[in-house]
Amino acid sequence: MFHTRYCAQFMIEARSLWKSYGSIRALRGVSFAIETGRVAGLLGPNGAGKSSTLRILTGFRPPDAGSAAVQGIDLAEHPRRARRAIGYLPESAPLYDEMSVRGFLHYRSRLFGVGFRARRAAVAQAIGKAQLDRVAHRRIGKLSKGFRQRVGLAAALVHEPPVLILDEPTNGLDPSQVRELRNLIRDLASDTGKSGARTVLISSHVLSEIERVCDDVVMLVSGQVRAVGSPADLIARAARVVGAPYTLELRTGQIGGPSPAAAVQETLERLGKVAGVTGIDWTPAAGDPAWSRLTVRVAPDAGDLRESLAHAAQPAPIRELAREPVGLEELFVHLADEAECADADTGPNAGADGGAP
Amino acid sequence: MTGVLTIAARELRSYFRLPVGWIVAALYLSLTGAVFALSTLEPGAPATLGGFFAGAASLLAVVAPAISMRLFSEEARSGTLETLMTSPASDLTVVLGKYLGAAGCLAVILAPTAVYIALLYRLAEPAPDPGPILAGYLGLALVGLLYLGVGTLASACTSSQTLAFLVAFLVIVGHLLLTDEGAARLPQPYAGWLAATSISVRAREFGAGIIDTAHVGFFGAWTLWTLAAAALVQQSRRWR
Repeated sequence: MFHTRYCAQFMIEARSLWKSYGSIRALRGVSFAIETGRVAGLLGPNGAGKSSTLRILTGFRPPDAGSAAVQGIDLAEHPRRARRAIGYLPESAPLYDEMSVRGFLHYRSRLFGVGFRARRAAVAQAIGKAQLDRVAHRRIGKLSKGFRQRVGLAAALVHEPPVLILDEPTNGLDPSQVRELRNLIRDLASDTGKSGARTVLISSHVLSEIERVCDDVVMLVSGQVRAVGSPADLIARAARVVGAPYTLELRTGQIGGPSPAAAVQETLERLGKVAGVTGIDWTPAAGDPAWSRLTVRVAPDAGDLRESLAHAAQPAPIRELAREPVGLEELFVHLADEAECADADTGPNAGADGGAP
Repeated sequence: MTGVLTIAARELRSYFRLPVGWIVAALYLSLTGAVFALSTLEPGAPATLGGFFAGAASLLAVVAPAISMRLFSEEARSGTLETLMTSPASDLTVVLGKYLGAAGCLAVILAPTAVYIALLYRLAEPAPDPGPILAGYLGLALVGLLYLGVGTLASACTSSQTLAFLVAFLVIVGHLLLTDEGAARLPQPYAGWLAATSISVRAREFGAGIIDTAHVGFFGAWTLWTLAAAALVQQSRRWR
């Protein structure tokens, strides 16, 4: 779980991080902490500040204000010691194309201070964990995108760090590669290295990825932490603040009745009058223009509206009426909309300026 | 120190895994070979390598920037610099490691020119004095190391290899022209001041067999200055 105070039980801690690039405020007081052995997801839309946060946590860039610690080591005070505790896979896995996989891993292990005697075993272990045995002798430049990501992961693992930080690890991979990499990440997280249970922080804008892989989620929008908790907690929260939408599929093209457009309009008007309905999206049902598919958005406290909706839809025949489960996506969109509204009201940096360092 | 050697070894190997290392080496050796043939193998020419050293030092103005241009700019372009800067290696370690790798590459390129010494000893009668040859090589190495320092600094400043090469080349050639031509055309004391900062004047003295500690200090100090500046530029990346 997440806390905002400094504590030895946390493997990764961000404390009120502020970062600007020129006039753009990338981070506005980002704080969170991740316990040892957890897989945490940093979730946010593009430009939310995910990469800026990771770059501070990996010691690549310092924050303008605030502090960060890994394994209890402050990155500003002891940057080299802290960086030794981290295995980092940057976005798009930058690698040396001219090197062989094995040669690259030997190089990385030396760079991270793995001793001469332990190096061969460390490289073999990283190759095994990342399932690179088949391509260990090949040049990195000749590998597919999926294998390159695995090489990047192996490089992050080769010195057995207690903390793994992965920036958009499945970007650009095909669906089967994404599945393989997700399984690999889960395996790595459950694997206890020489330094004990491994803590993993993954940044992504792919909600399903975070939902499937992570124990905890930090939602970052416009450079601020908007929600923290386990996926289950956040989904429960989403149900409270968003309201589960309904899907209705009904016949709007009746023979001998009004024109389809008029029938749709009439049905929408009737459904819109149901108490608790906040909006309706209409699309023609796939493959059959006589049928319409409606997504009915409702207020969070509307209760169960299935009966009311079915009644209001009459006389149109209904072939499907379902209440959709609320997921992270709904909460994510809700928070992003909320942040957009706040920015529109006060300007993009106004919220930050009040408490700016 | 392990970090410096690790980075240097990777850098040195990468030169010869890519065409650039072989092309630069082939170009330099063929041109210095021509200089040697024209200046030393001519009938009646003195049994020294003075002409070769002068020509080889001039060619380093092109070769050193070609070696150093990719040190940082290529890593910045490809994104591998991020993985290097998040490793436990300090910024100074990274600069020294890369510079040492480039210096190793220069040493590998210069090593085959020992054939010219062997040829000279075989053909010349009486045998040439080894002092000027050793001093000449020391001068050549010092000039090369200084030019590599300039190239390292230029490479740290940009993510474009071409720009890094051009900046280093223009700085070196500009300095050579300014100090040599300026010293020849300006009145004293300006001519003296410019001559004191001239690389080619000092390099010529090494070629003549003179090892002056002031000259060694001059090259050493300026090389260290360029590396310190490169380390500062590298450190400033974290704030940009």
